[in-house]
Amino acid sequence: MSTVVAPRVAARSVARVAACALWGLESAMVTVEADVANGLPSFTVVGMPDAAVSEARERVRAAIRNSGFEFPLRRVVVNLAPAERRKEGTGFDLAIALGVLRATGQLTRDADALCLAELALDGTLRPVRGVMARVRRAVLTGVCTAFVAEENAAEAAALGAEAFGFASLRDVVEHVEGRARKAPSPMPSPAPRPPHPVDLADIAGHETPKRALEIAAAGGHSLLLVGPPGTGKTLLARAIASLLPALDPDEAIVASAVHSVAGLIDPERPLLGARPFRAPHHTASHLALVGGGSPPRPGEVSLAHGGALFLDELAEFSPAVRETLREPLEEGAVTISRAGTAATYPARFTLVAAMNPCPCGHAGDPAEQCTCLPDAVDRYHARLSGPLLDRIDLRVHVPRIPYEELRAEGREASRVVRDRVVAARERMGARLAGTGRRCNAELAVAEVRRHCRLASEAETLAAEAVRGRRLSARGFHRVLRVARTIADLAGTDDIRTADLAFALLLRAQA
Amino acid sequence: MIAVAPRDGRYPSRLRDLERPPDPLWIEGDAAALDVRAVAIVGTRRMTAYGERVARELAGACACAGVVVVSGLAQGIDSAAHRGALDAGGSTVAVLGEGITLFLATVRGRRRPLVPRIRSSGALVSQYPPSFCAQPWTFAKRNATIAALAEAVVVIEAGERSGALITADEARRLGRPLFAVPGPLGSAASVGTNALLASGEARVLVSADALHEALGLSAPSAAASPMDPVLEALVVDALDADALRRRVHLTEGELADRLLRLTLAGRVMKTRDGRYAACAKGTRQEDERRGRD
Repeated sequence: MSTVVAPRVAARSVARVAACALWGLESAMVTVEADVANGLPSFTVVGMPDAAVSEARERVRAAIRNSGFEFPLRRVVVNLAPAERRKEGTGFDLAIALGVLRATGQLTRDADALCLAELALDGTLRPVRGVMARVRRAVLTGVCTAFVAEENAAEAAALGAEAFGFASLRDVVEHVEGRARKAPSPMPSPAPRPPHPVDLADIAGHETPKRALEIAAAGGHSLLLVGPPGTGKTLLARAIASLLPALDPDEAIVASAVHSVAGLIDPERPLLGARPFRAPHHTASHLALVGGGSPPRPGEVSLAHGGALFLDELAEFSPAVRETLREPLEEGAVTISRAGTAATYPARFTLVAAMNPCPCGHAGDPAEQCTCLPDAVDRYHARLSGPLLDRIDLRVHVPRIPYEELRAEGREASRVVRDRVVAARERMGARLAGTGRRCNAELAVAEVRRHCRLASEAETLAAEAVRGRRLSARGFHRVLRVARTIADLAGTDDIRTADLAFALLLRAQA
Repeated sequence: MIAVAPRDGRYPSRLRDLERPPDPLWIEGDAAALDVRAVAIVGTRRMTAYGERVARELAGACACAGVVVVSGLAQGIDSAAHRGALDAGGSTVAVLGEGITLFLATVRGRRRPLVPRIRSSGALVSQYPPSFCAQPWTFAKRNATIAALAEAVVVIEAGERSGALITADEARRLGRPLFAVPGPLGSAASVGTNALLASGEARVLVSADALHEALGLSAPSAAASPMDPVLEALVVDALDADALRRRVHLTEGELADRLLRLTLAGRVMKTRDGRYAACAKGTRQEDERRGRD
């Protein structure tokens, strides 16, 4: 006990190690400062740590001792700078441990890298969530090396950083000291596009629902499928995954970063290869759908960012949960506010929802008689509030189809439709070049005015429709965006009358 | 609200045809509407789009001829008949199976916006005291009152054991002309009406003219306008876009254009489940929307 760590030549009283804090997808570099001074033995972490960061003290103390180093019996203060924002999670363990070792001289060189790992009591490094977003921040601020747990190495390397994956604290020290250098992890290839479970060619009939699906996939418009049970609503909705164009690299990074924060990433293939398709069950809670908790985790709407969100049995979701969709549908992002922190996650997805036409499910079904009273049907539909319906661009009926069509051949395959979708997206992309937005659903109001030019005859029709149908301003703009997509799919610059008419007819509150 | 006894001058005279006329009859609204020419239009609560349209058009035709439409203000056909008459500017009488005050306090949904309109151009009547709670048997007695209040009874749609068949029975007992609207075979909502026709108990009603004839009215029969093929396809029931295209052989663009113009003209509406339905002539769509609170 009397052998106090003797100050060595290379020891510095204050050591600095780079780490990164995360709030949602927002991140900021954090400098972990460690100071070892004379005084009663103590170990304090300051700089607004949350419970998980404060507990790092115990993990760090044990990990240092169990890795064959000595924990100083002196007064140790660790500061997480900048100190004014709350830091969350266990990703600071490694940085704190390296700071203490450096301050006591047990580590003789500075670790010039982003240090991001949780420590086990025996000194083993454990993976953390959200590595991708934090490494991206580090690379942007000029720190291009990252020390992470082995499981996180591929994720850190995916963005082009020089990433080293280590098994233990001891390995990190050996590497920094230059005694046993590790090789950086190779950049992983993106995950292969998985085979699509449902192809449009597998679905008989349903020409209009398929067309609506194509429009939704091309323009990112929200779609509601209504029909009796067993007519293929779910199958159709699942087919949208096969129509969406491939992710472009920027989108892939953001989508993967959200998955990384949620801890839902394949450690070997961290970059998503296909657009996400999320289908939460209708018993999903508010937290599960839009995100939340402490620390705030992304919900299904954010996990579906860049892809599609499928809500089956939309009327069965709890009303509060259903209405939370309004913000992401309009803003393309959700902000989760907590005392002291606010996390913003992107949430730009194509909504595909399905519901029955009435409580018993058989209204308008030629095969079975509906047994619902008119008021019960009204109440069922009233579950979807006006503001929510206003944000649904396409509402189509999925009927029970006749046998002849069930057996008919010569259906269009998803591949053919996807080619049209990709071509339409290219037209949209050219129009929106430089804005960071990609499809017609994302057109700002000013852009709608500029890009959704109507042929003169269509203009008259539009005026008539707005007057006659009590279309809200938002509703009208949404119709114009859909009409733009229909024209893009046809490859024309002007929106023709038929395009506008079709868009108006597909709209929910016609 | 007033209560009138059978010996009162304001008591609707046709009601005295009943073996035991309601004593007293409670009336909210215009009591005079009870003693003019009247037709009862009744049917099932579980109506189809076809039944709704026929009920509205028939009630509208009655209203145009100055005939009061009597019905039970139940969900379904009854409400459609009241609405049809009101939309055509006519007056209508709703016969309730419970106390009027209680009904006014508890009515919800699509029927609620109808109540003030019936009050101002027609009347709500009941044979039960204002706060009387509905019982299963009160509706059966109410149905007899409907038959007695009218000069003729029309059943639009009725299921196998629909309450509208009680009204039909009573109409026969009172010697009122009974009409039934034929429905598609296999439609559960038309089993009762088709049975009435098959047994010869009811006369078949294929147009409002037959009704006018029975009442000795000369209604201005509208010149048959050439039917739009799209409207014609929608006459029986609402259809989804694909089924409609199979019927009329138009391209997607042509059909969209035609449908949109019909929608703007108020002839076609999109249902909440995404199908297209023909509107009864002169329908006020605001009511449909208002009804969905």
